[in-house]
Amino acid sequence: MTTLITRRLGAMVLVLILLTATVFMLQQNTPTDPVHAFLGANASPEAIAAATHALGYDRPILVQYASYLAGLAHGDFATSLRTRNPVAADLVQYLPATAELAIFGLLLALLLGGLLGMATALRVRGSGPLRVLMTASASTPPFLLALGGLLFFYSWLGWLPANGRTDMADPPTGPTGFLTVDTLLQGDLGGFADAAAHLMLPGVCIALLPAVSIGRVLRSSLVDALSTEYVRTARAKGLSEARVVARHAVRNSIGPALSMTGLQVGGMFAGVVVIETVFGWPGIGLYTTQSISHSDFPAIAGVTVVLGVGYVLVNTLVDILQRMADPRIAL
Amino acid sequence: MAVVEASAAMRTALTPATRGRRTRGDRPSVRLLDRVAIGLGIVLTLVVLLAPLLAPHSITVPTGMPFAPPSTHDWFGTDEVGHDIFSRVLLGARASWFAALAVVAFGVVVGGLIGLTAGSVGGWVDGLLMRVTDAFLALPGPVLAIAVVAALGPSLWHTLIAVSIVWWPFYARIVRGEIRALAVRPHLEAARLAGAGRVRIALRHLLPGAVAPTMVAASLDVGNLVLTLAALSFLGLGAPSPAPELGAMSARGLPYLLAEWWVPVIPGIAVMVLALIANLAGDGLRDLLGARS
Repeated sequence: MTTLITRRLGAMVLVLILLTATVFMLQQNTPTDPVHAFLGANASPEAIAAATHALGYDRPILVQYASYLAGLAHGDFATSLRTRNPVAADLVQYLPATAELAIFGLLLALLLGGLLGMATALRVRGSGPLRVLMTASASTPPFLLALGGLLFFYSWLGWLPANGRTDMADPPTGPTGFLTVDTLLQGDLGGFADAAAHLMLPGVCIALLPAVSIGRVLRSSLVDALSTEYVRTARAKGLSEARVVARHAVRNSIGPALSMTGLQVGGMFAGVVVIETVFGWPGIGLYTTQSISHSDFPAIAGVTVVLGVGYVLVNTLVDILQRMADPRIAL
Repeated sequence: MAVVEASAAMRTALTPATRGRRTRGDRPSVRLLDRVAIGLGIVLTLVVLLAPLLAPHSITVPTGMPFAPPSTHDWFGTDEVGHDIFSRVLLGARASWFAALAVVAFGVVVGGLIGLTAGSVGGWVDGLLMRVTDAFLALPGPVLAIAVVAALGPSLWHTLIAVSIVWWPFYARIVRGEIRALAVRPHLEAARLAGAGRVRIALRHLLPGAVAPTMVAASLDVGNLVLTLAALSFLGLGAPSPAPELGAMSARGLPYLLAEWWVPVIPGIAVMVLALIANLAGDGLRDLLGARS
């Protein structure tokens, strides 16, 4: 187990080097020249040469990359061209909202995916139409889902709010930054209901696509597992069907669904960016969209590194969990 | 063993869906529905190919009042400028559809070449190519695509480049897996005994066997790409304003959602229809090819 974790961590470091190197190379090739951006349009050639030297842009590329990495390690993500704040400060401000939405979306995707996979594999009554619905859901762009949700649940029924994280005048600012958790910690049930209602539509919108993918993978491995001999043996022993499914079939077919979950997180992050834009959710996604329209590459690079690290961490965790669930998996 | 390596289960998740189906593909007749779905895909391709001829109105000159609701004159209504949404959706669908096909084609060719080389040469070449592929697979593709387009500057062309860069590893994995599975078959041994060279073996004896599963994986992927490209366009990474792009049209119509729902919703529905036809046709192709082999 220890060697496994060491090896996965080693792989993670290599992937992170690839990620930062890619972002660094992109940064080198943006149309906006950082020296010009720094000095303004009318700088003399001498001033440009001096600033190029002072800012370190005349050093060998590997040295520049090394100092970029060192900066990242110290939390230095350069300065946003739009907000004029350090990108790290902006990210710290926006991250809790995105983390709350993404974690809620992921849990919802796991729950929905598990239910969909089990219902269709076990041919629960009504699961035929469910499979058609899954194909339709897999073809629905998240932003259309968001528009439909807004028209139905906000405009028509008036059940759910349309914009932002909360309607509270002074929402709690700590300790976790997750409004649903913080309001509960303060015993503020009204605030919790408000935060949860705001979370509902965006959460469902980002969860549906991954849920369908997880459900499909779980279904296919569950169907295979249910036709194996150990399931027949378990049934022959007289175990209840629920116990056969839960203890024998699901446990043995959870692996592929877990890896699909890890892979889906990448698409989900892109979904988060879109959905935050639609719902005005004050997180990293909204920050990204605003940065895109201002060609603010330092900000986008910071977001890419943070989301990339999140993705790599989740997938490393998935690999380790998988190994714990099934020691036969060789890594 | 190299350090950067996808877990075994991750590979299972990446294996095309043909695997299980083919062994269980004992259905005697191919369903009519599969043929209908594939036919729909072909019809869609023809329609978007002819879109400039089929569009009833200009896509850049206003045809009537802004925000006209759907009617017999403007089937899908008009947008905030007075453009006919039906014509714009038709041309936007054309851009989306061919963009998705182009990325898939790039992925199949580049990924296929790398997968074929890795799978047929084997040894350290295989190890090296697959470690690089796995490292790319370990990065969050859609997020990286956002960064690439943002760095290059927003345009449809740059979006295509960005998505192509993050999309090929998927195909390299699939093709390499198929080639490795074929390499242990008896007909390979026969070819080698007959004195066939390496290149001939790769092109004439290995590649043909990998075509069908790769085509199935590719056709199932088109729907995903339609959605991913629409999301990037929605974020403002596609062509600038007057160009008809479905995602961007929906994003620009967002402020009018509650009063004039058709402006943002109809381009979104068009994306859904494209993805749905792609997914159904992909399923159909999988069943057809699965049943044949």
